[in-house]
This record gives sequence, structure tokens and C-alpha cells, in this order.
Amino acid sequence: MTWWARILRRNRLDRQLDAELRDHIERQVADAVRAGATEDEARREATLAFGGVEQMKEECRDVRGTRWLDETVQDLRHGARVLRQSPALTAVAVLSLALGIGANTAIFSLVDSLLLKTLPVRDPDGLVLLDRGSWTYPIWEQVHAREHELFDGAMAWSTQSFSLTQGGEAQTVDGMFVSGGFFEVLGVPVVLGRTLTPDDDRRGGGRDGAVTVISYPFWQERFGGAADAIGRAITMDGVPFTIVGVAPAGFFGPVVGGSFDVLVPFGTEPLVLGRESALDKRSTWWLEIAARMKPGQTPDTVTQAFRAIQPQIREATIPGSMSQADRPQYLRDGLTWISAARGKSSLRGRYQRPLLTIMVVVALVLLIACGNIANLLLARASARRHEMSMRLALGASRWRLARQLLTESLLLAGVGAVLSLAFAHWGSRLLLRQLSSTGRPVMLDVSLDWRVLAFTAAVTIVTAILFGMAPAFRAGRVELTDVLKEQGRGLAGDGRRALSQPLVVAQVALSLVLVAAAGLFIRTFSTLATLDLGFDRDPVLLVRMDTMRTSTTPDQRATFFERATQAVTALPGVAGAGVSIISPVSGAGWNHLLDIPERAHLSKRERMTFINAVTPGWFATYGTTLRAGRDFTDRDRAGTPEVIIVNETFRKKFFGDANPVGQILSGYERPRLIVGLVEDAAYSSVRGAVPPVVFVPLLQVAPENVGPRATMSVRAAAGAPALLIRSITAALGEVDSRLSLSFRPLIDQVNASFLQERVIAMLSGFFGALALLLAGIGLHGIASAAVLRRRTEIAVRMTLGASAASVVRGLLTRIAILVAIGVLIGTGISLWALRFISTLLYDVTPRDPVTLIGAAMVLAAIGLLATWWPARRAARIEPAQVLREG
Amino acid sequence: MTTPKSDLPQGTLDLLVLKIVTREPLHGYAIAQRLQQISRDVVQVQQGTLYPALHRLENRGLLASEWKPSDTGREAKFYRLTRKGRTYMETETAGWHRLTEAIALILRSAEGEAS
Repeated sequence: MTWWARILRRNRLDRQLDAELRDHIERQVADAVRAGATEDEARREATLAFGGVEQMKEECRDVRGTRWLDETVQDLRHGARVLRQSPALTAVAVLSLALGIGANTAIFSLVDSLLLKTLPVRDPDGLVLLDRGSWTYPIWEQVHAREHELFDGAMAWSTQSFSLTQGGEAQTVDGMFVSGGFFEVLGVPVVLGRTLTPDDDRRGGGRDGAVTVISYPFWQERFGGAADAIGRAITMDGVPFTIVGVAPAGFFGPVVGGSFDVLVPFGTEPLVLGRESALDKRSTWWLEIAARMKPGQTPDTVTQAFRAIQPQIREATIPGSMSQADRPQYLRDGLTWISAARGKSSLRGRYQRPLLTIMVVVALVLLIACGNIANLLLARASARRHEMSMRLALGASRWRLARQLLTESLLLAGVGAVLSLAFAHWGSRLLLRQLSSTGRPVMLDVSLDWRVLAFTAAVTIVTAILFGMAPAFRAGRVELTDVLKEQGRGLAGDGRRALSQPLVVAQVALSLVLVAAAGLFIRTFSTLATLDLGFDRDPVLLVRMDTMRTSTTPDQRATFFERATQAVTALPGVAGAGVSIISPVSGAGWNHLLDIPERAHLSKRERMTFINAVTPGWFATYGTTLRAGRDFTDRDRAGTPEVIIVNETFRKKFFGDANPVGQILSGYERPRLIVGLVEDAAYSSVRGAVPPVVFVPLLQVAPENVGPRATMSVRAAAGAPALLIRSITAALGEVDSRLSLSFRPLIDQVNASFLQERVIAMLSGFFGALALLLAGIGLHGIASAAVLRRRTEIAVRMTLGASAASVVRGLLTRIAILVAIGVLIGTGISLWALRFISTLLYDVTPRDPVTLIGAAMVLAAIGLLATWWPARRAARIEPAQVLREG
Repeated sequence: MTTPKSDLPQGTLDLLVLKIVTREPLHGYAIAQRLQQISRDVVQVQQGTLYPALHRLENRGLLASEWKPSDTGREAKFYRLTRKGRTYMETETAGWHRLTEAIALILRSAEGEAS
């Protein structure tokens, strides 16, 4: 019989054992009676011959090798009883464990899906990615032409959002242009219909015209999962695409953290973008290239093989706009292929360090929780010393007792872990929502799969061992006779403090580190959130305009945007409006190397200047002050003298203290007259110093530099700017009904740029508070226990004339010493450990004394608070009553 | 009874039990009886140790068991030797013979020296 069968058929086996023994006895009795004995006598003889029947049965069961299981079940039952005896303490322990383990699980599920998991494709380890940024379509065509010579197939993709509407406020779907071999190279099937093929990828569409494969969630959401979705058309950016397939449920594309609704072949891009098509543009860097390696290839050998033919590829794709001086560098620059097993992700770079930091934070919180539970169990173990020594006396082995205590810990941890899954499920989703910003959702699969569950199980077991170790260790040391002799309470305390005090000190120390870290993160966030950006963030609404589907030609765009601005400015409730090509703190930038003869000695980097093209009134819309000169006016347009406005940093860099207004700047395109000087305002990012920026009138920008999209900023006269969306949509609809619009309040865009800091501040603040709470509970516990244990001693001292105040003082002093030691150790750890987070801080050093002192004071306050009630109880002890009891 | 009774040397009970069930399947009581008869009452098997031994041998796969109707009309658990048990018994028996011969040899030669 197999081992597990023996477990499962335990009861039947027991019954059979009984029957077998009974049979033996009956036969013996029968034989004895036949030989002349009386039945009673014979039965007594037979039973005696067996010795202890129960003991023998036990031995028979032992040989089954399942005894440990029986004992474990016993232990679990016993453990559950013990835990039920003190529901309040159990609840605190289980809750803090659930929070601790849940936080670890939640963060791990993010870490796992972002940093560890491989792509959900066939053999993800066989994928390589062309490293460093984006590539042009001509480069892809060169790679594509050689894909079978170099690899086992190559593919390219580029994200793109499509509009489902023909004009007005855009309803967008997230899409991706992909090459024809996308599905084949990734080895991803479809659940319905067919995949995209190289034929679909022909320019202008293949035999089936413009086709698309939609994602599984999109299929469910839009078509209710209907099978007849295949063959239906979906009109995107005015082009009807035929749905030919549905991608599998878990497939989010090659970008971790991204997602898609539709995949369309690159070949259809000219249909969508018309004359803006980038397929032949050698200086539009917009796509990613990946490949599947041949068997036996490694990223290094692929790189080597690729570099051999790289000169031809480079030669064939030199951007037309590239200066002669830069060409040799372009031709020489070696390209590298890297493993793409885990896909590509911009999130990874941004969130790797923060996530790992938070992972450490939650691990520490769990450790603090463990400290509390260990203390709790220690207290309980003291109360159960009598039980333990009794069992030792009855023959239980010390190991058996320790094992029982560990089983109880595991039970506690197990219950906590089960609860923690709910918390983790909720927490990881909440966290994802926090990481997402408007228009930039973060899609990660944080479902509790076997990897996450395995992690939770491992954490649970480690946790149980950590907090179960102390009591189990003590159980092994219980001295039999001592305890039995002791009988109840003694005058002085026992040795329990020897273990629980270091635990509390460690808790205080770790809490201090967490509180200090939280302080640093919160200061970083509040510094960023209240930075003087040089403009007003609250009253401004950003209106992204897309003229792709309008009939506006490139040279009409500037005047079109001007007309749109005038239409919006005339609306009631609008205090001002202006169009710019670059929208502030959007991360976008437009730079140019200024050729200023007087500043020729400056290095390239120092001469790098940022540009923005704006309409009149744009500065007023943002509330950016004009320091000297004038704003642009309607007369600054094509054909009139070319003018320019510079910012404060630009002036300092190129003109020193002199007033630049009235001077001629010859660095950008043609000589331009500087007509104004504006205060510094954040350009592409809120962080760091404001770069030198020059502003040119939108109407004086060369038509090829005015793209089909631009951002209009609208300042609300009062109230939330989002309230203007409806009237702006109507007004712009009248200008051109095919103009596509999307809206976003400026404050949203600004906040999105320190999202990471906000999330870290929030999380570290939450966990810092949790750590404080746990440390507080720990201190409270040890103070209460001290009062309880020393009731007799206190009563005796009070009878002998000690005042209540001195009793309280004595208690407070002891706790204060513990807190002080903890704070000292914690400060030491902080000074050493917090430097690892310095890259996550802004404008505050990791050893910031104010933060450290603040954290120490917070912990001191917590210590005082936690000791207050026990101290009061001590002071109110009625000596006479206590002594009578004793 | 005048013959002094000896306790079984460690590990030999298993071997004896296996030997007894070689010929035919037997139930526990019969095995106990047979042990006593064959050894002419020299070997005293504690009944308390017989059943754990039977269960141990069964768990190791040296014995197999079956519930069958017996002479009493009740079902009884009959043990029989498995192929694995037979092999085991044969090697153990050979080992036992070697050992006893060696011990006998030593004892004989020691007697010779003494006389």
C-alpha cells in the first residue's frame, strides 16, 4: 500500500487492526476453553498475554510511517483551540500578518510581472532586441531584407493610438503597427480567425485590404466575444479595417506594462497617415526591432554577425537631415542585440529601483510584525510553562513540544497568509491604478498565479519560523522541576525579558529606518509638488488637436491653429488661450544647436538650446511673467520681421546681465530680433534647472516644422478648467468638424511627471505608519506585561511608602531606555542604509538631519503613548488588594 | 516446563515469521502457535511484538495479506510470503547460517584450547 493510501485509509486500517487482534484473542480463548479453562479466566489470560493492547496498536500504527501526520493534525487542533482562547491577541497577530504578508505579495506580484517574468510567447529566451531606442522604417526594411540570413525571422512594431471618431473629442484605441512576421516570430497563435501575414504587410494592404488582429479584452468588450467579429470592419482614423483574428487572452504584446486593442500591419500606415506616412522617412525614429535567434545563436553571436553587414544598412539609411560632420559617427556606431526574453519596457527602468526599495520596506514591516507576534507567543508560552512542564513530565520529548509550538506558529501564519491574499489582490490593483496616469495606463498581469502563490507560501513559512523560533526555543529549555515547583507567581520577573526586550529594541530600530525613509520620500514628493514651475498649473486645460483628418495642408496649419485659438478665446469663461508645439512638462522637447558667433567657444552641450513655437497670448495663458519687452502679436507672422523671445536662463548664458531685448539673435535659422524676455518656467520636465529656451511665433515657423498635431492651452477664468471641455469641443467643431481633440488638465500632466515620487511617498508613508503602529503595539505589550508581572513587587513597594509617581517613573524609564537604544541603533542603520535611496530623492540628502531627528522624535512619542496606559494602571494598583490576592 | 526459555536475538523474529508463512498463508494466531510449536517452546515470542512485526513486514512488501473466511466462520487476516519476501528470506537465511557456523566454530575451538 502506498504511503498516501495509508494516510487516506487510516480509519479503515484502524478497524482492520482491531478486527485482527480481536480474532487472535477469540481463538486463544476458544483454545483455552477447549483445554478446560472457564471463559472468563481464558479471556483474562489472553488479554494479559498481549501486554498493553493500546500500546501495541500504537506500535502497529507507527510502522505505517504516518504518525507524524496524526500528530500534526493533533497539534493543529490543539493550536486552533489555544488561538481561540485569546481572540483579541489572535486577531491582532493575524491582522498584522495579513497586512505584512499581503504587502509583500502585492509588491512581489508587481516585481514579478515587471522585472522577472518572461514574455508570454513561444520560447521567449530565443528573442533578441536591437538595443538603444527606436529605429526608422528604412532601417527596418534593411533588416527585414536580411532576416533569414541573420536570424530565424525578425519583426518590428510601433505603438500608435487610433481614433474611432471622425472629429470632435477623440475616442481612441491603443494600437500597434506590426510587421507581417510579428505573430510568426513571436510564436503567438490566435484564438479565432488568422494571424497577420507578410502579405497583409504590403504597402497599401494585401489581398484582403486593410486588416487587423484585435486583442482578447477588446474582443470581449466591443463584440461581447462573438465569433462573427471576424470579417467585421472597424473604422480607425477614417480607414475601415477588417478584423481577421483575435489574439490570445494573456498576450499584451512585446512591451511589458503596455497593452493593445488592435494590431495593424505597417503596410497600412500610409492609408492612415497619408502624406505624413513615415515609411520612407529616414529621420523619423519610431519603431522597435526584434528577432528570433537561430538555434545555437546567442545575443553576442547575433551582434557579431549583424555588425558584419551593418555598414551596408547604415549606408542605405543615412538620414537626409544629418550634417556631414555627424555622418561618420552614424556609420561607425556599432549596434547591439540584447536578449528580449522579458520584453521591452520603459517602466522597468523607471520603476525597478522604487519597486525594489518598497520591496525592502515591506519586508522590514513584516519583520517588525514578526517581532510582535514572537513577543505575543513568548508571553503565551510563559503562561503555558506549566502545561509544557506537565507534558514533559508525562514523557513528551522537548522536540515534540517545540514542534507543537512551531505548528501553532504555522497555523497562525497560514491563517494570516490566506487573509493576505485578499489584501494582496486588492493592493496590487490599487497600486497599478496609482502607477497609471491619464492616457498612460500601466497594464501588468498581477493575478495571483503559481509564482506569486509560491512566493507567498515561502514568505509565510519563513515568517512562521521567524516568530515561532523564540517560543519554541524556550520550550526546549523549560526546566521540569523548576516550573512545577514554582506554582503560580513569584515576586520577581522571569527570564522572559531576556528575549522580548531585544525584540522590542529591534522593532524600534527598524521602525526608525522606515519612518526616516518615509520622511525623505514624503519631503521629496512635497518639494516636487510645490515647486515653483514658473506657470500656474491649476487653471489651464490642455487641448490636443490632431488635424490629420482635416483638409488642412502643411502650410495652412499655423493659420489654422491661429483661427482655432481665436475661436476658443472668444468663449465665455475662457481667460486666454494659446497654441504651442511643445506642451510643458509633457516630456517632449525640441532642441537646436545655436550657432552664435560670439559664443563659438562654448561646447556643443552648452550651446544646446530648447525651442518652442507659440501663439500670442500663450505666456499670459500660463501666467508666465514677461520680464522685459513685449509678447508676440498678430502682426508677427510670415512676411513680417522675424522675432524671438528668450527666457531668463538663456539670457544669463548668452548675454550675462545685459538686457537682450532689441538685440539680434542669429543662431536659429535666420537672424531674429529679440523682442521679449520671460521668466524661467519648466520646459519638458519639472525636475532640474530650467534649460535655456527660445520662443518663436508659431506663424513664423517653417511649415515643415509645424506638425499635424499641436496643443492649445486654455486658461479658465474661474473654476475647474475641465468644465470648459464641452464648449471648446463645440467651438472647435465649428472651425473644422473633422478636427480630432483630446483633453487633459495641465495639473494632471504636471502630477504625472512625479507620479513615481508620489507612489513611493504614499507607500513608504503607509508602511512607515504601519511600522509605527506595530512598534507601538510591541512597546505597549512589553509595558503591560511588565506591570502585570511586577504587580506584587509594585504593591510591596507602595506599601513601603513609594509614591505612585515613582512607580510610574520607574516603568517609563525602562521603556525609555529601550526606545533610546532602538533609536540609536536605528539612526546608525539609517545613516548607512539610506544612501541606497539617494537616487530616488529630490532636493534632500539621505542623511538629512531634520528628517532623522523628526523620525526619532516620532518614535519617542510613540513610546510614551504606548507606555501611558500601562503606567496609569501601575499607578492605580491597590496594594492591599494585590497583596491579599498573592 | 523445565526447558529454560530464551528471548529471540534481535532481528530474528522477522526471519522466523517469514519462514513460517513460506508453505501456506496463515493468520496471526496460527503464526504465533506455529512459532511456539516449532521451537518446542524454547522460543518465547511476546505476542505484543508479533503484530508490530507482521505490520512492519507487510509495509515493507515482504508479506502480503488478505482477509479470508476461516475455520471459525469469521473472516481472518491471512499473511503470505511475497516474491520480494522470499528473496529476502533466502539471503537472510544464508547470512544466518554463515554467522551461526562461524560462531559455533569459534566456540568449538575455544573449548578445545581450554581442555
